[in-house]
Amino acid sequence: MTGHAHKAGQFLKNGERASWHDETLWIVRQKRDKMARAVPEWESLREQASQIKQHTLSELDNYLIQFEQQAVKNGVQVHWAANAGGFNEIVSGIIKENNARKVVKSKSMLTEECGLNPFLEKQGVEVTDTDLGERIIQFRDEPPSHIVMPAIHLKKEEISELFHEKLHTEKGNSDPAYLTAAARLHLRQKFLEAEVAITGVNFAVAETGAVVVCTNEGNADMGVHAAPVQIHCVGIEKIIPRMEDLGVFTRLLARSATGQPVTAYTSHYLAPKPGGQMHIVIVDNGRSQHLGKEDYRNALKCIRCGACMNTCPVYRKSGGHSYGSVIPGPIGSILAPHTNSKKYKDLPFASSLCGSCSNVCPVKIDIHDQLYRWRQDLSEKKIVSPGKRATMKVAGKVLSGSRMYDLSGKMARWGIKNLPRMFIYNRLNVWGKGRELPEIPKESFKQWYKKTHQGKGGKNGQE
Amino acid sequence: MDRNKILQTIRKNKAQAAPLPKTFSTPEEEPKKLLDRFKEILQQVGGECFDVKGAENLNLFVEEHFPGAKDFRKKETWEKYPPGCGKEELSQLGAVILEAQFGVAENGAVWMDESNFPNRLVPFIAEKLVVCLDSEQICGNMHTAYSRLGNRTNGFGVFVSGPSKTADIEQNLVLGAHGAKEYFVVLF
Ligand code: SF4
Repeated sequence: MTGHAHKAGQFLKNGERASWHDETLWIVRQKRDKMARAVPEWESLREQASQIKQHTLSELDNYLIQFEQQAVKNGVQVHWAANAGGFNEIVSGIIKENNARKVVKSKSMLTEECGLNPFLEKQGVEVTDTDLGERIIQFRDEPPSHIVMPAIHLKKEEISELFHEKLHTEKGNSDPAYLTAAARLHLRQKFLEAEVAITGVNFAVAETGAVVVCTNEGNADMGVHAAPVQIHCVGIEKIIPRMEDLGVFTRLLARSATGQPVTAYTSHYLAPKPGGQMHIVIVDNGRSQHLGKEDYRNALKCIRCGACMNTCPVYRKSGGHSYGSVIPGPIGSILAPHTNSKKYKDLPFASSLCGSCSNVCPVKIDIHDQLYRWRQDLSEKKIVSPGKRATMKVAGKVLSGSRMYDLSGKMARWGIKNLPRMFIYNRLNVWGKGRELPEIPKESFKQWYKKTHQGKGGKNGQE
Repeated sequence: MDRNKILQTIRKNKAQAAPLPKTFSTPEEEPKKLLDRFKEILQQVGGECFDVKGAENLNLFVEEHFPGAKDFRKKETWEKYPPGCGKEELSQLGAVILEAQFGVAENGAVWMDESNFPNRLVPFIAEKLVVCLDSEQICGNMHTAYSRLGNRTNGFGVFVSGPSKTADIEQNLVLGAHGAKEYFVVLF
């Protein structure tokens, strides 16, 4: 069994690490809250962002064409890739044309999604990821476990050990400042040698052809400005109509992601440097199909801030790798099944449906509703695993009839108190593993409400 | 070929028409408040702020405080580090002084573009970055910042807020990941 629950179990085996992971991400969530509260117009900003994206998705073809025209006018070479294979070919073609061997790359979930690194490496190209967290996991040959904090699953002692082996740092020195300084030196060399720099894109502006990249380290800029050839890889959903819309999104992004007022660098690339080349590769890879699924379309609004991960109780306790998808957490769980519903059938169940993800999402994606919808769709198509189907069948019956629901609640309240543990923590209920149920109230909400609101509630007070 | 395929699928699948919302704006606060907020946030993002109160005090101040820094407000420094200048040479820059066009109170950022440096690497490759900013050129938030920029587009432009930083090792904040380790704004 390699489903999410199983892998989460592996992660939870190291209790100390698991609780560190949980607490650290919760701190990031709290920082986000503090920042959001300091902006009085926060809620209308989220609404604005969501509407801008809604509009853009309804005019996506026109905005892409406008973006292309503007970029070409600025002297940029624009390429289109329908899928991952085409994308990898285009990038490797540009590298070959320039007889380049050394490439630096700044963080991009899109290149991760398309498997660009292994593709280029096979052709003898040296690709160096330059974001510190990305470099760490590249050394370890593993995927990122978070979209903003790629190495959040690692402890500093492990990084110290790794750097000792790869960069010959002092054995046993795990001081983050020391390790960061060592990485800075190592990567400075890579920046100076690189012939091509590749970046992801946070926003692409149709009105001017600008691509905007936000980083704290400055690694995208070090790469792009030092190398003669720059390549920016952008998913079609990253388009926004106007420059002024950047005002909305840059205010939301860093506050939601890490609780900063803005990233250290918000870079706007419009034209190649004197004597240099600038390429933009526009990538579809399933997005235009996803666009056609009305119930799930909203997920294309995502600006990849990671807030839904930081707040998710399941993500925090199970670690990003347990999802097995390129993008983990709540948003990953509603994106991944579009690419392969069999492989990722477990992910929509890796949630408590508490709705916290939807509450923090800066573009107001209905994440938990989509998770619920996926559960229904997958069970309708009989794709869910047998254990889940059995429980869902019963749950479906129970939840659909109010008499059954009341009765089963009474039974459960009695059962959790009186039945042997093995009934609750059995093999069918994978989430019972490693979890204790809360103490059970003697009466249901409904019973309590009836008792305390008798006669006052009108319709609500009736059975 | 891919281009048409993508555009066709989008046309088939795109959402129902939804209007583009009107420009988002917030009331602008008084300049004194903006200046104070700018200073406060700048400190929070790891920058250091000086206020020399008057353009006439600026040059003396930077000369005294940042001796030996390469001053890109001067023509001769542009000539010494022209656009085609080698990156090895730029990596020896050490401390640099640049002029920013305006600041943003809500996040301590300053805007600079290609008219402020001869080579795009300069603000990033310098170990120590000193930015001079007219204290009257501070706007409230990113909405006013972008309305100020309008569609005035340059090949490259950047908002910088504080020194380069990372928290990728156990969420410990470390300044100076790749770009400037130290960052100063001198208001005049
Ligand atoms: S779904 Fe929303 S909260 Fe999650 S990463 Fe995307 S934008 Fe951020």
